[in-house]
Amino acid sequence: MKILMICTEKLPVPPVLGGAIQTYISGNLPYLSKFHEITVLGISEPSLPNQETIDGVHYVRVPGQILEIYREGVIKYLESTSFDLIHIFNRPRLVLPVRKVAPEAKITLSMHNDMFNPDKISPEEATAALEEVSNIVTVSDYVGNVIRNLYPQATAKITTIYSGVDTEQFLPGYHPKMQKIRNEIRQEHGLENKTVIMFAGRLSHNKGVDRLIRALPELSKKFKDLAVVVVGSSWFSEDNVTDYVAYVRAMTKKLTIPVVTTGFVSPSVIQNWFAAADLFVCTSQWNEPLARVHYEAMAAGLPILTTARGGNPEVIQLNENGLVVENPENPIGFVEKITEILSDKSKMKNMGIKGRELAVSLYKWDRVASEILGVWGDAIHTSSSSVPETLTDIYVEQEIIKDLVSADSIEAKPTDTKSNNKQKSTLEKKVEAKPTDTKSNNKQKSTLEKKVEAKPTDTKSNNKQKSTLEKKVEAKPTDTKSNYKQKSTLEKKVEAEVKQEPIIELDNKPEKEIENQGIKDKSKTHSVRDMIKESLRESVRKTIIEQMIIDSNEVSTEDSISNLIRELKRRRNIE
Amino acid sequence: MDHPIIEPWEADDLTHEFYVPDYIERIAQDVLESYDLSVNSIQVITTKPDKGGAIWKLETTSGPKSLKLLHRRPTRSMFSLGAQEYLVKVQDARVPAIVKTKDEKDYVEAGGKLWFVAEWIEPLEPVTKDLEGAKHLCYALGEFHRLSKGYEPPQQSEVASRLHKWPSSYEKMIIKMDWFRNIANVYHELPASTHLLNVVDRFEEQARNSLTRLNQSSYSELIKKGNAFWGLVHQDYGWSNGQMGSNGMWIIDLDGVAFDLPLRDLRKLISGTMADLYRWDVNWVREMIKSYHESNPLTAELYEILMIDLSLPNEFYKNIKEVVYEPELFLNDQTTQLIQTIVDTDQTKWPVLKEIEDDWRGRE
Repeated sequence: MKILMICTEKLPVPPVLGGAIQTYISGNLPYLSKFHEITVLGISEPSLPNQETIDGVHYVRVPGQILEIYREGVIKYLESTSFDLIHIFNRPRLVLPVRKVAPEAKITLSMHNDMFNPDKISPEEATAALEEVSNIVTVSDYVGNVIRNLYPQATAKITTIYSGVDTEQFLPGYHPKMQKIRNEIRQEHGLENKTVIMFAGRLSHNKGVDRLIRALPELSKKFKDLAVVVVGSSWFSEDNVTDYVAYVRAMTKKLTIPVVTTGFVSPSVIQNWFAAADLFVCTSQWNEPLARVHYEAMAAGLPILTTARGGNPEVIQLNENGLVVENPENPIGFVEKITEILSDKSKMKNMGIKGRELAVSLYKWDRVASEILGVWGDAIHTSSSSVPETLTDIYVEQEIIKDLVSADSIEAKPTDTKSNNKQKSTLEKKVEAKPTDTKSNNKQKSTLEKKVEAKPTDTKSNNKQKSTLEKKVEAKPTDTKSNYKQKSTLEKKVEAEVKQEPIIELDNKPEKEIENQGIKDKSKTHSVRDMIKESLRESVRKTIIEQMIIDSNEVSTEDSISNLIRELKRRRNIE
Repeated sequence: MDHPIIEPWEADDLTHEFYVPDYIERIAQDVLESYDLSVNSIQVITTKPDKGGAIWKLETTSGPKSLKLLHRRPTRSMFSLGAQEYLVKVQDARVPAIVKTKDEKDYVEAGGKLWFVAEWIEPLEPVTKDLEGAKHLCYALGEFHRLSKGYEPPQQSEVASRLHKWPSSYEKMIIKMDWFRNIANVYHELPASTHLLNVVDRFEEQARNSLTRLNQSSYSELIKKGNAFWGLVHQDYGWSNGQMGSNGMWIIDLDGVAFDLPLRDLRKLISGTMADLYRWDVNWVREMIKSYHESNPLTAELYEILMIDLSLPNEFYKNIKEVVYEPELFLNDQTTQLIQTIVDTDQTKWPVLKEIEDDWRGRE
């Protein structure tokens, strides 16, 4: 398929300036681009060209910072280029304008925080936008639940896909690759023989590092070797110090415990600070969607202390990989829980090991990407009554991806999990539910099953059958179970051994390179796309839509949202 | 024309009040090239070095004008300029008209900022610092709010709205009270720390009560009417930005206008004026509100929100929030005095608010 991913107007992709959404997109692209022809539309940045193609992914950059300006660039771009699916990140306010210029495309929306709240988007526009999207991906159950509470009608479209982390970039301090770096950083900053508590995040009231600072005098009475590292920008800046940074600086000045402040650390080297630390503390006071730092800390083998706010506790298995402060407003909570962790060194160590295990088994980008592929498949499939016959091939593709995703996800869950944990069971339920979901509400399925009899799980171990299948359904990506997990350099090396091996067995060897072979199949996705185009060209539906656009352009003199809503409603009725 | 990006500049003992860096002066000259004006003299009137803004007065053959370098983001400035144009052209309000460039634009973009030329209103006199003057200000403010209704910002501009932000700004005040307390505790040895600790609980409690009342009020219903319904607030209104001209009160310096309920400007004017008096005076407060009401009628619901906003510890917060920057310098004997004055003035506030709380009862 031809897919457009639209980033937010705030930061550029690749994440040269950081940013959770930017990191998320970049983390997934290597996997997604094996299946689809992908364009990433983001904001311009002096250090990056306005157009480029890297590793098969096309990047287009238009002016941003302000949503209004960015929106204009997005629309202009879409007027000249069409896509099968448009994946919009965290900007529900882009949905209607995008729909107007891309009447045929499926729209998937990713939600990374509470952008559906009434102060961010009017209920009228939100309702209309929700109707236009095929599905909504959220980074935590928390984010999904907020949308559900506001707009119950969206419930069926919402899926949580937990984010991921590069477990080769973020490694524990004891890992051979990191030992030297760990020692150097600790030496350079006077942290030798210290127990290093690390915070990473914006310096803001919401992120709450002041609560950690205020917990330190009490902690210093119990532990003599403590030090704190605050990784976050704006600490040093003189001109634009916020009241909050000034406050935290004033509070830190009087401490006896050393506090190392790093200022802005480039995302490409931030793993070094994780490797240098001993305990990760997230102090968030607000209902945070689910901060990326949790995944990074897990991958770096750090025990985690986080707060019972928003989605953060969803990735903590109590006493397994960390603890949760229930009432983070009061610094006492941090005193108590940090004491609990630091007092039992073997438990502390085990939490770190468990965190690393979870990162490798549950939170790698390939798992995220496979779930996104599944969602895209769903989106294309929801193409309502007017799906042309030839589109069934795309359905086959989607089915296979689904099986692949669900099989892998189930296998990938840690086998040793004692399920006294809410989050874990949610995740498990979700992945387990997938195969059933795909089978249930689908009319077309039986027809399709006939067409591709040799489908799903048994393809896993039977390559012969698979290739028969491939011939039969030309347009789908081929090597079903493994082709989203690949690195071309390793292809030849691991081909033989990997081909027949269920993915989980690799995943269970945490530190081993886990790479599978795959097949580049751009030409085939192209042909799917062409078929869609062709069939749509012939379909009456398109003619109607085109006429509608011409009509509405004549009617609406401006792009005001209410006009858009009216127009889209009209369009819908005619369909 | 290529220009360097305009940045804030250092203002120190070596620079005078009206110092503007040379490169900005040069940009100003270039900007004036875009106008069909014959300029006889140009003179800096005011500067904002910390933000990177300035105002010049121009004497031209077609009369005095002002040239402004707006320090905000260009898209934000477009919002304000659109408002100024709307008020003059559509509503015939007494705010300075924007002078168009040679190609009929409202502004020039140079050095990464917006510049514009407007009429320099003469004569313009500050109103007297008495109740009569205060009433003039309030009436003119009401008029400004009323005329700004219906404004639709240009497509390109950033929509500035505070309509939804009231609860979070109240919460912020409560949060910062805790900062003041924590700093006073950590710097307990400084002269003003004890005094600050003695009163901070009281003011925090006041802010909490205000927030509770706001949440119980009709605020959440009122804001549903939307930006254009309520119109703009000035955000920097007072004795210098509202002045008397030959044909009535003029309102100037519209750069910070934003959509909001039309109450914070009035609240600031009232509480600031009471602080200047060192006591709350029921007659002044009533008369000021009445003058405002004459030009922009307040409903009972809006009146309640005004009462709630007045109940915030506005003056304490405004004066103490500096403490986070350099506590060692701030928490001195002078601040002890300041805290005492604020507490004394605050004690006269509550009987006044009590007395006027039902003034709007029964009105629509």
